[in-house]
Amino acid sequence: MVVTSRRKRNLTIITKWACYIFIVLVAAALQSTPGFLEFGRVKPLFILPVCLAVAIYEREYSGAFFGAFAGLLWDWTAGRVSGLMALGLLVVCFAAAIVVELYLRVNYINFILVNLACCLLVASTDFLFYYIMPGYTGLLRTYLTVVVPMALFSAILSPIAMICVRWVKHRFVVED
Amino acid sequence: MKDFFYTTKFKVLVAVAVLLGGMMAWAGANGRLTSAPQEILSAVLSPFQKGASVVSNGVSGLWDKYVRIDSIMEENETLKEENRVLRDQLVEYDRLKAENQAYQDLNNIREENPEYTYISAFVIGRDPLEQFGAFTIDEGSLNGIQKGDVVVSDSGYLVGRILEVGPTSSKVMTILQPGSYVACVVSRTRDSGNLNGNTQYSIAGQCTLENLSRDTLATVGDEIITTGLGGEFPPDIRVGTIEEILPEESGKSSIAVIQPGADIYNTKHVFVITDFTTATSSKVEPSSEDADSTAQSDSEPSDSMANE
Repeated sequence: MVVTSRRKRNLTIITKWACYIFIVLVAAALQSTPGFLEFGRVKPLFILPVCLAVAIYEREYSGAFFGAFAGLLWDWTAGRVSGLMALGLLVVCFAAAIVVELYLRVNYINFILVNLACCLLVASTDFLFYYIMPGYTGLLRTYLTVVVPMALFSAILSPIAMICVRWVKHRFVVED
Repeated sequence: MKDFFYTTKFKVLVAVAVLLGGMMAWAGANGRLTSAPQEILSAVLSPFQKGASVVSNGVSGLWDKYVRIDSIMEENETLKEENRVLRDQLVEYDRLKAENQAYQDLNNIREENPEYTYISAFVIGRDPLEQFGAFTIDEGSLNGIQKGDVVVSDSGYLVGRILEVGPTSSKVMTILQPGSYVACVVSRTRDSGNLNGNTQYSIAGQCTLENLSRDTLATVGDEIITTGLGGEFPPDIRVGTIEEILPEESGKSSIAVIQPGADIYNTKHVFVITDFTTATSSKVEPSSEDADSTAQSDSEPSDSMANE
């Protein structure tokens, strides 16, 4: 749908971002649903791949703001410290969008790799703040058997988010 | 006239007549009503006939549908509505089934401790990054839940405590969290200790009972219950069983690895004990009438208190 008039253009932009928000709301619901796609203690992240897809398709600044919004959603749905994940996703989405724009082509393989790196980064940072810095010991096994597989699982499922976001992006095209 | 018999058309006509005559003779000689060429023709045409029949029936059906389109649409709407109602009923049935199970569990728990006040709650959220099993339940301050309330599984085993309370939801910190100390006692031997989360065992859903005396008589399989010491947890709440007893690093005491009775990582329904102080205070604080007996009991503490 290519639109040109100013009013329709604004409407298209609003609808497109409403769709992105809807997707991330669904992702947040799935991510916090007990037992959904949970194997052992490994459960995939859904919010982060959606944020990264939006950041890659909508450029760094829009992606960063969207990441912050999604991070807040994550914080609230998981009962975490409000703002920490929001800040983390803001930075990660901004950086990922720039890296993809400068050095990578947008395809499934690259998206999976970017997701793997970002999931590992976010999960490891969280692990550092919540489990290592408080002084808990003997967590290497937990890291290797829960956190790393979780990042892998999330990365494998990430093309779903890419497909959804790409569909919305191509469905609501705004002609400058 | 002579020329007529020699014409090609006539010759063809005769040939066709001979052919037809031969066909009749062959059919008559074999006692069959249909001739071979007819069968061949029929075999060749059969697929086309079937195709034509399908198309014909299709057209006929389409026409029939077109003629009856209003009644079909009406029927379709009726069936859709019926389907929707049945799906709603199915959802309602599932909900009632879950609620019924929850009430049955609640009834069982109330029979164990009828003086406590319970609120039934379902687990609605688990964070993939959470490593000690903390989760969110669907009841909050509007339902009477407060920070620090004790959470038990639907079979009555200790799960944890309320860490944060929102209006309609609450976050539960489990007994697998290091630092979540609970005063407990080995039910059989009355050996007391502190139940605590341990990073080494939490991945397997286990926790530890620390500060057990070095010469404890507790063995694998012994039941662990809360003591109620400190007033934060009600007494006699079941926790789990001993899986292993190990000496502490310093060698001054022992540590028991506890397998909680509640499946903390997978539990979907819990009960929150919102009020047990009345019950425990009625147990602990005697009335003035039996003050003398209280003094007697203070000097001769009960088994559990002696270990505490």
